[in-house]
Amino acid sequence: MAKFMLLLYDDPSHWAKLGPEDMQKAIEKYMAWSKKPFTVDSQRLGEDAGRVIRSGSGKPRATDGPYSETKEVLGGFYTIEAANYDEAVTRALDHPHLLYGGTIEVRQLFGS
Amino acid sequence: MTGTGETGVFIEHLFRHQAGRVVARLTRVLGPAHVALAEESVQEAMVRALQTWPYQGVPDNSAGWIFRVAHNVAIDALRRETVFGEKTEALVAELTRSAAVTLTEPDVEERLRDDELRMIFMCCHPALARDARVALSLKTIGGFSVREIARAFLAEDSAIAQRLVRAKRQIRDQRLTLDLPSGAELAARLDSVLEVLYFMFNEGYAAGEGEDLIRQDLCLEALRLGRLVASASIATPRVHALVALMALQGARLPARVDEAGELVLLEDQDRSRWDSRLIAMGFAHFDRCIAGEEVSEYHVQAAIAATHARAVDPGTVDWPVILTLYDQLLALNSSPVVRLNRAVVVARVHGPSAALAAIAGLDTDPRLRTYHLLMSVRGQLLFDLGRTQEAADAFTAALHHTRNEAERRFLRRRIQACTT
Repeated sequence: MAKFMLLLYDDPSHWAKLGPEDMQKAIEKYMAWSKKPFTVDSQRLGEDAGRVIRSGSGKPRATDGPYSETKEVLGGFYTIEAANYDEAVTRALDHPHLLYGGTIEVRQLFGS
Repeated sequence: MTGTGETGVFIEHLFRHQAGRVVARLTRVLGPAHVALAEESVQEAMVRALQTWPYQGVPDNSAGWIFRVAHNVAIDALRRETVFGEKTEALVAELTRSAAVTLTEPDVEERLRDDELRMIFMCCHPALARDARVALSLKTIGGFSVREIARAFLAEDSAIAQRLVRAKRQIRDQRLTLDLPSGAELAARLDSVLEVLYFMFNEGYAAGEGEDLIRQDLCLEALRLGRLVASASIATPRVHALVALMALQGARLPARVDEAGELVLLEDQDRSRWDSRLIAMGFAHFDRCIAGEEVSEYHVQAAIAATHARAVDPGTVDWPVILTLYDQLLALNSSPVVRLNRAVVVARVHGPSAALAAIAGLDTDPRLRTYHLLMSVRGQLLFDLGRTQEAADAFTAALHHTRNEAERRFLRRRIQACTT
């Protein structure tokens, strides 16, 4: 079965308006999804925007980013199994992240 | 407390209660003027949980995780901001000590309850308007969001947010403290606390917004806070009376709405759906409330609820005793709403004509002129007397004065019954 990476982007300021009860409900929904049998792996990324190193002209330079222009940051990723892109997308569509204004990028792992 | 990692489902209201608790703890360390910083720290800790647990799994001690992370967020904020000046290092040290405790240790548990208790007493300070006391209690101790409070009180989010900002400014400007008052001041403050809890409970109980469960949460939160106060050494019989009243009435919540979401009147409720745990709790507090000499309104109302709870089925309710209790209540509080409720009992004991006479004149009271329950009760009494046309008119008038969908459906069914 092919493997796909789901990259979850979100705007942390979205969460600021939720109360404790809403947060608990959100986490429960997220947890329920992540327990699905097709999930192979998951990892959260640091909450800062990280660094980007570009070669450009001359010496490569590390800068803050890449999200300095946008509020959305890559928060973490899941690796899931699916027969093809259609199935991978269907599975990602169920993810509660989309109920809370997030964005999910779906990429197939090459050769899987 | 553990987050049950396997299913991803937590103890009900874990976040809500933990939020209140940690805000109280942080406010105790930082001082009441910085309650907003305490709230922001807890909020941020919960956002971090949301950003972490779905990928890394729920930690074994999820409540402790939130407690610790909120402390760390507050420490970072202290170091970043300059408002605390030279006190910064001392506060950081105290927060570090506070963060290191194990939540499940009994003395820690006791200290956290003490923090919460002091917080309730501050939120109910008479220097704050009652609306502000209620909103502040729900937000800071109850862990309710602005949106939830707005929904519960049918207010705009912005109105509630402003009310909270104003209340926090007053805490700062008037230098309110977390010290528990003593003597006469303690008695007065305790009354204010009970008034706020009673208001909170009634708002929840007076099903104002249909199927919305937020109202039930209001009732249960009022009960939780009431129990917290009742467990403190300063509790008086009056506190136990209010807790008994809330527990015994709250026990009926599961039976008040049927599977289809329709309202069920007390006499038609399936008593097997009453919460037996809450009934037992209610009677335990009722026994303690009759310890003193005092008979407060809470005492009498608790006695009424207890009389209902003692009946095994609707046919065995001791209505004459309830009527006597209502007479007592009326002597303590001659409000038109009490008169209306008493009239419902009069109908039970002396029939609908006597009850109609008992509510005569209430419709001209400015406080009840647009009160749908008065019209609805009047409709039912007229219906029982066979005056179906007048009954239909009364139910129709009631329909015009309530926005609650469940109540509207109930009234439409009554109107239909009048015409068939």
